[in-house]
Amino acid sequence: MTGDTRVATKCGHSEAALKRSEALLAEAQRLSCTGSFCWRVATDRITWSEQLYRIFEIDKRTPVTLELIASRVHPDDLASLHEATNRARTDGRDIELEHRLLMPDRSVKHLHVVAHAARDGDGRLEYIGAVQDITQRRLAEEALCNARLELAHVARVMSLGALTASIAHEVSQPLSGIITNASTCLRMLAADPPNVDGARETARRTLRDGSRSFEVITRLRALFTKKEPKNELVDLNEAIREVLALSCSDLQRNGVALRQELADDLPRVSGDRVQLQQVLLNLILNACDAMSAVHVRARQLVITTQRDGHDRLCVGVRDSGVGLGRDGPDRLFEPFYTTKAEGMGFGLFLSRSIIEDHHGRLWAAANDGPGATFSFSIPCGRCDVTETVRGPLTARLTEMAL
Amino acid sequence: MTPARAFVSLVDDDISVRESLQAFLSELGFAVRPFASAEAFLHSDCVGETECLVLDIAMPAMSGIDLQRELQCRGYAIPIIFITAQQDEAVRARVIAHGAVGCLSKPLSEAAMLEALDAVFGKT
Repeated sequence: MTGDTRVATKCGHSEAALKRSEALLAEAQRLSCTGSFCWRVATDRITWSEQLYRIFEIDKRTPVTLELIASRVHPDDLASLHEATNRARTDGRDIELEHRLLMPDRSVKHLHVVAHAARDGDGRLEYIGAVQDITQRRLAEEALCNARLELAHVARVMSLGALTASIAHEVSQPLSGIITNASTCLRMLAADPPNVDGARETARRTLRDGSRSFEVITRLRALFTKKEPKNELVDLNEAIREVLALSCSDLQRNGVALRQELADDLPRVSGDRVQLQQVLLNLILNACDAMSAVHVRARQLVITTQRDGHDRLCVGVRDSGVGLGRDGPDRLFEPFYTTKAEGMGFGLFLSRSIIEDHHGRLWAAANDGPGATFSFSIPCGRCDVTETVRGPLTARLTEMAL
Repeated sequence: MTPARAFVSLVDDDISVRESLQAFLSELGFAVRPFASAEAFLHSDCVGETECLVLDIAMPAMSGIDLQRELQCRGYAIPIIFITAQQDEAVRARVIAHGAVGCLSKPLSEAAMLEALDAVFGKT
């Protein structure tokens, strides 16, 4: 082999390697939704990678100018972007910023821009940068944030322990008055001679205190009034994951290990997502409470979803807690039945009525080992409802909240 | 009966409880002064002559527990019967440890109240 051919072959290799490297880079840019650019500040000459053209949805033969960029930038972000570029021109520092694009079809993209300031051979300022399309991440964050807000409302409505304490306090005061008044009244009437005027006054106070108690009950009734359930198609697994996202800190704090056994490819059920989530949250919090006194074995919570026949789904919440107690599973669902010191006995009663509104059933069973399993089974959604309805949940929840 | 016209002060921010207990204690033969707040009692001229204090725990601003501490700081040893609508064992244990005669739950039972009064004034 002569020296020339060796050089030529080497060049060929380098060229092939370069091409491969370029192809790899382009592929990496496409996969990571990241484009790159170079901005020569003095001349405002800007070059874009192919991916950046794709992000901006601009034909790649178009020369890039600041005006072209501005035409795509979201009007609300123009001023801050303009300010950032002007600052970069003068201070020559690295750039990091986020801004949005408003596309011709009115859709919005979120971009994250980082650029490093450098000097070319003649000492002129230029920026080499990368632009990542973070729209998906932003949308996911927003969705998560909304879900949290919705669930926070649910949690507030469902935090029966706290509610119970305040109701107990409010009812106890007038009730205390009523009982003491009645004692006093009897004593006044039994006196010799009977103190009729005093007894009459006492009876009058008793009436007033009775009305006060009634007002508390009226408020309570308003809170728990059944609303017509919304009819939407609900992905139960998704609904469960949202509830778990909310309760995971509670679970962690109580040292509860969580296992999810959610079946894939489940059809959706038709019903009210928020109400079903109330039931789930209630069952999960109950399971946590049932395990709070357990110290000798692991506190394990297992959430399962599976098909129940061909047209129903079944959700199970299994704990390793103290079990169902002496009264067995049936009494649990009666209103005001509670085994908890601070419970009011509404959670399971409400949960069962929600599930029955969904044409389903809710039941409890003791485990083979320690603990209990609460399950509900509800029919799958009808096929004539094709679109998942996502109403203004916050509005609905505000209605439901205190 | 309990000794004639023994002086009982009553502090509760709830009107139902306050008025009913005032009538009840009067009917038992006590001289009763009701107060709607711990501060009102503390600033009254009744502190020195109070032989028994029936005192609510949860009140806005100064709580019953605060008042118990304040009275002890000022050197008063008034027997206190606490009354509370909150079922908090820790609080109950604490006020008893600090010398309260009793800590009764609302709704108040006549028997429990009589028993506590007997503990203060002696059974007759």
